[in-house]
Amino acid sequence: MNSLRIQTEDFDLAAEYQSLRQLSSAVGAVVTFTGLVRDFEGQGSIDSLSLQHYPGMTEKLLQEIVDQANSRWNLLGTSVIHRVGKLLPCDQIVFVGVASQHRADAFEAAQFMMDYLKTRATFWKKVDQHGQQHWVESKDSDQAASQRWATDD
Amino acid sequence: MVNLLFFGRLGDFAADVPASIEASTPAQIRELLAADFPALGAELHQPQVLVSVNQMIVSWDQKLAEGSEVAFLPPVTGG
Repeated sequence: MNSLRIQTEDFDLAAEYQSLRQLSSAVGAVVTFTGLVRDFEGQGSIDSLSLQHYPGMTEKLLQEIVDQANSRWNLLGTSVIHRVGKLLPCDQIVFVGVASQHRADAFEAAQFMMDYLKTRATFWKKVDQHGQQHWVESKDSDQAASQRWATDD
Repeated sequence: MVNLLFFGRLGDFAADVPASIEASTPAQIRELLAADFPALGAELHQPQVLVSVNQMIVSWDQKLAEGSEVAFLPPVTGG
């Protein structure tokens, strides 16, 4: 199972975990990552966040990331959820879950998928800080995190 | 004619740009836009900006077919 969802609505971490856990009796490890909206960006606190994406292309790019993860690690299932639209501080924004027989595959694949998602998938964040809106700048640290996987591409 | 899309901060510079344009490569689109919209032109010349045609990242000298969807993509910031 490889599940990919881009949605405005929230998700239930427990339900996502159960779907991965129940995939098969061969599942020996489930790693999940949930990203939350921080209450600050750059110099100040934020009131809200808006997420734009490129419909069609985003799904294609996420599918490529999932396909790469499956070719690099021995996985039994993956699940990716990314929310779009307006979000508030502390909201859940992104979920990556991986099921595998052994923990190393799940840990590494989950980290790989998040690192690639952050630097390749066509999402853009705009923050509202006290009535002023501005687009979030990409971070060099995200690029560096993604590049460490590049040697095995 | 090819159809144009601008994402992220590029959209803020492209509010008055026509939805479609006659051009043979993304590089030519960039030059045509820079002539009429210098601020957008400067943004599109940033080395981190990528271009896609029909939802595939391509080089700036990719030949464009009639009706293609050409999107200009600033560095992504999801996750």
